[in-house]
Amino acid sequence: MEFTVPIGPQHPALKEPISLRMTLEGEVIKGVDIKLGYNHRGMEKLAEDRSYIQNLYLTERICGICSFSHTTCFAQGVETLMEIEPARRGLFIRTLVCELERVHSHLLWLGVAGHEAGFDTFFMYTWRDREIVMDLLEMISGNRVHYAMNTFGGVRRDIDELQRKKIADSLDTLTKRTEYYLKIGSSEPTFVARLAGVGPLPKQMALDLCAVGPTLRASGVPSDIRRDDPYGIYAEIPFEVCTSDLCDVLGRVVVRINEVLQSYKIIDWLVKNLPDGPVKVKAPRKVKPNEAVSRYEAPRGENIHYIKSNGSDKPERLKVRAPTLANYPATVEMLKGQFIADIPLVFAAIDPCICCAERMVELRDQGSEQTRIVSFADLRRLAAQYYSVDRLQHKEVEWPL
Amino acid sequence: MISDEQIMAQIKSDIGDKIADITIQAPRRIHLHVKPENLNMALAYIKEKWAFTLMSTISGVDLGEQFEFIYHMANLYTNINVRIMTPRSDPKVPTTTGVIPGAILYERELQDMFGVVVEGIPDSRPLLLPDDWPQGEYPLRKDWKWERPVEVIPGGK
Repeated sequence: MEFTVPIGPQHPALKEPISLRMTLEGEVIKGVDIKLGYNHRGMEKLAEDRSYIQNLYLTERICGICSFSHTTCFAQGVETLMEIEPARRGLFIRTLVCELERVHSHLLWLGVAGHEAGFDTFFMYTWRDREIVMDLLEMISGNRVHYAMNTFGGVRRDIDELQRKKIADSLDTLTKRTEYYLKIGSSEPTFVARLAGVGPLPKQMALDLCAVGPTLRASGVPSDIRRDDPYGIYAEIPFEVCTSDLCDVLGRVVVRINEVLQSYKIIDWLVKNLPDGPVKVKAPRKVKPNEAVSRYEAPRGENIHYIKSNGSDKPERLKVRAPTLANYPATVEMLKGQFIADIPLVFAAIDPCICCAERMVELRDQGSEQTRIVSFADLRRLAAQYYSVDRLQHKEVEWPL
Repeated sequence: MISDEQIMAQIKSDIGDKIADITIQAPRRIHLHVKPENLNMALAYIKEKWAFTLMSTISGVDLGEQFEFIYHMANLYTNINVRIMTPRSDPKVPTTTGVIPGAILYERELQDMFGVVVEGIPDSRPLLLPDDWPQGEYPLRKDWKWERPVEVIPGGK
């Protein structure tokens, strides 16, 4: 006997509004139907009556995690249309932010994968380390989520010697810890047993259904836009494309951890080879009629923007395709034949996008109704102050127990 | 791995009589213009010949009298943008899901946004627009305008 169970649009197991209708036979999924549009904001239409520079900030708001992917992809396309060559130092800083963003996105995803598999310690460890990356991003750009770093012809902020040193120092800690996660992710028996064989996607099916990014690479296809269609300065940077032949969720974990390690190497190379010079060149306001296709390897896969200009300061058409949409047909196939308990894990394995982030915190003093707004730095200082007093009587223990 | 120029020359010699135009706009950006009836033949040909298996997306542009649809195809080293035109009075395109099964969501999106009929599409339900969306309104057509309705808060000021 078959049942149809709706998962979403609002569901505790999903972090974004999407409707999945599961046809079940017992606990086994027989068919999946996806309905989208619960988060559709009409941005392509909106872009047609905004100027290019306004659109740069509009595209930044497409996603809350890979915000920089969209601005870079858009800026690249518009730079092609404007026929300007971005400043070389600007390109290096742009790539640096790109790679830091990839690291923070993958660490976030690893945590989510651990959480969905019931391995919450992994989640807490990776998110602690993600905080290091977020701090670096805040140091470089002044923001944690929407960096607002890109502009046509380069970037808006420069980095100094002290910041370069800080980045290099943080990389040591991150590399050490990520290598440890690779060891856990690929050899911890319970974790591996939970992930291996779940959400299978054979190589040929991944190709037929146009899957992109780590989902495709975990099915053994060495496709990476940074290498296949090099943009910016990627043609000069030495790095490897990470793949796995496992074709399941475990493969996707391994691919992403390896990619993070590759990103550290890229960041290291960028910091060491950063050239001198200006960070941006002047860009014209109007663009003559033309069209451009801009492709970018976002943390989740290929991101493509198609921009058509008409001679004014506004685009005729902006088409955006984010990687998550490309992975939906593959997700439907991955879910078929799986158990209902695997839904969050398989669905999270394509890393669907989530929006987040709140910066201001309202503190309410206990006992009084007085409130005050504090900055994040002050909040952190208060927290450190609070915990500097030993509130719990710790008992010294010998490790191992 | 062969160069864009070689791909262009090969396409010209093999299916030159069925294509309208082919240009190289920039490195790794080949633009191919075909008639709608030859779309599937062209996609199958480049897929067979150079493994253009990834359809990145389908972009639609409203040009006034005509709609332009661009199928962004990619393989592991270059990409081809296949362009077709269809008249606004009778917008019809053939489905490409026979050649590229992953095209289904992009074709459903085209139907929603441009009101074009994708002939032979295996699943023609609306994808993105709400269930109560009025018939015959297609947001990405240039003549479609939207005004924000005045917000009424029930029981509010």
